[in-house]
Amino acid sequence: MSNRVAVIGVGMTKFMRRAQEAPGELAAQAVRMALEDAGLDIDDIDAVTLGTAPDAFDGIHMKGEHLIAGAGGSNKPYMRHFIGGATGVMSPIHGWMHVASGKYNSCLVVAEEKMSPCTPHPAGAFLTIFDRVTEQPLELTLIHIFALEMARFMHVYGYSERDLAEVSAMIKRNALHHPASQVAVDLSADDVLNSPLLSWPVKRLDISPTSDAAVAIIMVNERIARTLKKAPVFIEGVGFRLETAYWCTRDLCYPDYVAMAARDAYKMAGIVDPATDIDFFEPYDPFDYKALHHLNALLLDKTGRTVRNLFESGNLTCEGSHPMCPSGGALGVGNPIAATGLMKIAELYFQLSGQAGKRQLQGPLRRGVAQAWGDLMQAGTVVVMGAEGASPVTSSRWNDMKREDLPGTPIKSVDDGPNISDAPDLRYAWDNGFAISTYLDGLKKGKIRGSLDSRTNRMMVPARPFSEIADLAPVTNYYNLPDSGVVKTFTISHVNWDSSPLPDGEVNIFAVIALDGINEDMGLVHKLGEVDHQNVKIGMRVKAVWKPESKRTGDILDIKYFAPLGRKKTNLEMTQIKPVEVDVLAMSQKQGKIPLSYRYTAGVGGSKFYTDLAKGEINGTFVAERDEVIIPPAMFDEESLSILDPEKDARAINPGSGFIRSFTVVYEDRMGHLLDKEQVVVQVEFPGVTGSIFGMLEVKDGERFYEGSPVTLVKPKKVSGPDMVAFKLSSR
Amino acid sequence: MGVALLGMGICGFTPTSTGLSYREMIAKAAKMAYRDAGVTIDQIDGAVSAEEDFPSGYSIADEYVPDQLGMVRKPVYTIPGDFMHAVASAAMQIETGRFDILVVESYSKASNVLTKDEMVRFAFDPVFNRFGLSPHWLAGLELNSFLSETGYAIEEVAEVVVKNRGAALANSNAPYGDNFSVDDVLDSRPVSLPLTELMCAHYADGAVIAVLGTDEAAYRYSKKPAFISGIGWGSGTSILERRDHSFSIGTALAAERACKESGINNPGEEIDAFFVSDTYAHRQLMHMEAIGVNGNRNPVVNPDGGALGGGDMFEATGGARLYEAFTQLRGEAGRCQIDAERLLVHAWRGIPTDSCVVAILDKDRRAL
Repeated sequence: MSNRVAVIGVGMTKFMRRAQEAPGELAAQAVRMALEDAGLDIDDIDAVTLGTAPDAFDGIHMKGEHLIAGAGGSNKPYMRHFIGGATGVMSPIHGWMHVASGKYNSCLVVAEEKMSPCTPHPAGAFLTIFDRVTEQPLELTLIHIFALEMARFMHVYGYSERDLAEVSAMIKRNALHHPASQVAVDLSADDVLNSPLLSWPVKRLDISPTSDAAVAIIMVNERIARTLKKAPVFIEGVGFRLETAYWCTRDLCYPDYVAMAARDAYKMAGIVDPATDIDFFEPYDPFDYKALHHLNALLLDKTGRTVRNLFESGNLTCEGSHPMCPSGGALGVGNPIAATGLMKIAELYFQLSGQAGKRQLQGPLRRGVAQAWGDLMQAGTVVVMGAEGASPVTSSRWNDMKREDLPGTPIKSVDDGPNISDAPDLRYAWDNGFAISTYLDGLKKGKIRGSLDSRTNRMMVPARPFSEIADLAPVTNYYNLPDSGVVKTFTISHVNWDSSPLPDGEVNIFAVIALDGINEDMGLVHKLGEVDHQNVKIGMRVKAVWKPESKRTGDILDIKYFAPLGRKKTNLEMTQIKPVEVDVLAMSQKQGKIPLSYRYTAGVGGSKFYTDLAKGEINGTFVAERDEVIIPPAMFDEESLSILDPEKDARAINPGSGFIRSFTVVYEDRMGHLLDKEQVVVQVEFPGVTGSIFGMLEVKDGERFYEGSPVTLVKPKKVSGPDMVAFKLSSR
Repeated sequence: MGVALLGMGICGFTPTSTGLSYREMIAKAAKMAYRDAGVTIDQIDGAVSAEEDFPSGYSIADEYVPDQLGMVRKPVYTIPGDFMHAVASAAMQIETGRFDILVVESYSKASNVLTKDEMVRFAFDPVFNRFGLSPHWLAGLELNSFLSETGYAIEEVAEVVVKNRGAALANSNAPYGDNFSVDDVLDSRPVSLPLTELMCAHYADGAVIAVLGTDEAAYRYSKKPAFISGIGWGSGTSILERRDHSFSIGTALAAERACKESGINNPGEEIDAFFVSDTYAHRQLMHMEAIGVNGNRNPVVNPDGGALGGGDMFEATGGARLYEAFTQLRGEAGRCQIDAERLLVHAWRGIPTDSCVVAILDKDRRAL
């Protein structure tokens, strides 16, 4: 049986709309703080695991690899885990696996998110979470899918917009006493209701803000935990479940996958009735309705009555019987996706060990549960933590922690310091394969095509070649389906996919439509047209309006939109068809790209480097622990994870004293095209200094160079990124 | 350790795969793996996938994992690492005692990524290292450092290409088998000198699935299981300015751990063959050095042709090596077959990383 695992220390940065620090610098500050909190050194840590959400936020491919040094993972077993927005509560679960397996005694768990580099808005990163063939052409984004779910949730459970506004106000108020809080404010429900309407029913203040931040926790086995003075807080149960990616094929009103994850965690923790066995709840709350939506599942109550009663009786407040989001949640503290989930785990630790300061709930507290959610309304991660009833911590710096005590440097604009711009040219041509090629061929012919899963008697839309829920059974019978159906849920959007506003008076109405004649839950998402948005209702009958045949290309946009059908009759016939032939012409491809660009702050170390470079200077940073000067300038030392100050700890280096450590002659540009003239990249070291600097070597005709050749820094004419770093041979 | 490999499945291993969507490719490999492992879908407790976002073109690639594995609503998560990282994560999960059988998945549709160099470049630190140049610059510089620090000759690097691509001619899974000479390799088009085009693996499409489980599950369901007796992973620093580019510390850490768990004191003597990452030819030599086997013993390395012969399949690359090693232990490697009882499988995440995994795979469970 698995080893018991305890949390023994926490660190976090402020949650910020935009941080000056680079991603690794954010992580390092949280790690340093967690180590101090646990009374450990980085050498005491056996393994490191990192949680961070899409690479499209930070703007770095394989960003887990980029974060190794900052997360304390250099020269250690290090692994990143990822499950979209549910990552932050997967983080302690993955840490738990490291220790509960007996493989390691301790695991440092880090969650980082830097959303601010993504332009025009981090929300744009969500365009490419949708299915590239059947959904992305509609230019959906995350607000739309939340709005569709929120409308469905309100419809089924009878919550009003005001009810949900009250939830937002309550959670944001809870955050007033959280030291990391980005947006804690004392708002009323009216403030939320009166905030700008983005995509009905979602208003701006129904949503958590985008954030930059890092959180770290330290997990150890029971033997180590017992040697510490603090009362340990143990992981009692874990659960994680992932639903189908075909999100239009299920009712969004209740997250079964969260309930299943919760059941797994409760079983492990020995919890029979969560409403009586758990003292407080940290459901994921990126939107206000989500807190209740998730709490229904955490209480395993699909009827929603338990939560409804708790909400109406005021028992979800911090003074109530079932406090919800005492931390202040994503809505109040901020939502740096993965870091938010780990912040909720930190809150369980603080509350259960008596370190929550002014947020401390009335005790005695025995158990808390935290949960995160992610992907396409699809992923649920749940952790139950428990205290043993030992004396809570009486003196803890966390009890008196203020925002200014936490690391992290908020800045207003990326232009407040040195910065780097980049627009990656990421283009694709995706193989659609057999089933989707057949589906798209149908659209070109003005038909919606499905395939029949005879094992479950489901007609599947879009057509699929196997049954995802019945043993991957092969599916070979394809049909033309009715192009009419019923609106299951809808949203009236005032924003584009990148969060920019639509022109005044224009709206897009997106709806999930259950097609006629097949199972009720098998739907597709599309736009509605020929209807005043005020007249759209759940349950409304609609029919596809097709582009003229000459303009159809085999794309979901061959359907212009769905228009109200009223009482008109429609053809409900289903006709079996012959799917496409398998040949290179019929096997279609879908072209696509990642439509994002980035503006990166240079970070604290990078700012020093580029400020010096503009003057033709180089400074290293002194690391007292090792009595060494390191380059390039850094705000942390990756060996000791000590925090450095590149200004105060600066040590001047003679820019003319470099020598070539290694080099390469490059013949291709970033796209793999041949360069007009080859370029030399050099790794330059300086005497008495640890580290090096990479840059271009400016070589004159006839000049020869070797490893060891002396070089001097070239003062750049302008400073805008790594390409500006150059050296030339010197005659030293 | 008590984690076993019950069965595996693959699909593709081809330069392009136009007739199959990624879902179709993975589903086929999954069905092959489940049949091979002797398990039904409802006996599998969950899945771990090895995927990164940008190779798939999705911002949250893990959304699209469960369906084609038949793992809808089960415990599923993603490791943005090599396939072998996901194997390591699944192994830990099984060792908690709360899971008996798990499936590990990864795939590559490299042919669908039209700007692969640009994508790899996007993995570099934008502040210090992301030049407007081919990302292969780091491999070229690494090769240069490796040659000058270790005393290997460039011809020995070229010999890796000759050997691996030649070996791939005997492997029906490998699309890039061919006959080259050392001079062909050295004289091929310069990419980032001393790195030439033939020293870099071509990309390939493919899906790899492994079914892992407890020893009890293996004995119960699988006709021909293999046994993981040790697995370790490690990463060198992500700060390129302070990394030793002539040595793979990530491999050394991983190998040390894996060998310790397996009770191996002398890898060169106790391991029959090494399946190590060779997505750049010099990396094969560098990894072997870090594992602790130097060139003098003439060990068997990548008898399947490695990634140079089989293709770089992004996160699935280590999975391809595991598949080939598994096939060897079962005596099913056809014309590539060697005598094998204990094999080492290594994976490296490619530039700009030094993140590596080492697993020891045994034909039979051995007492320590």
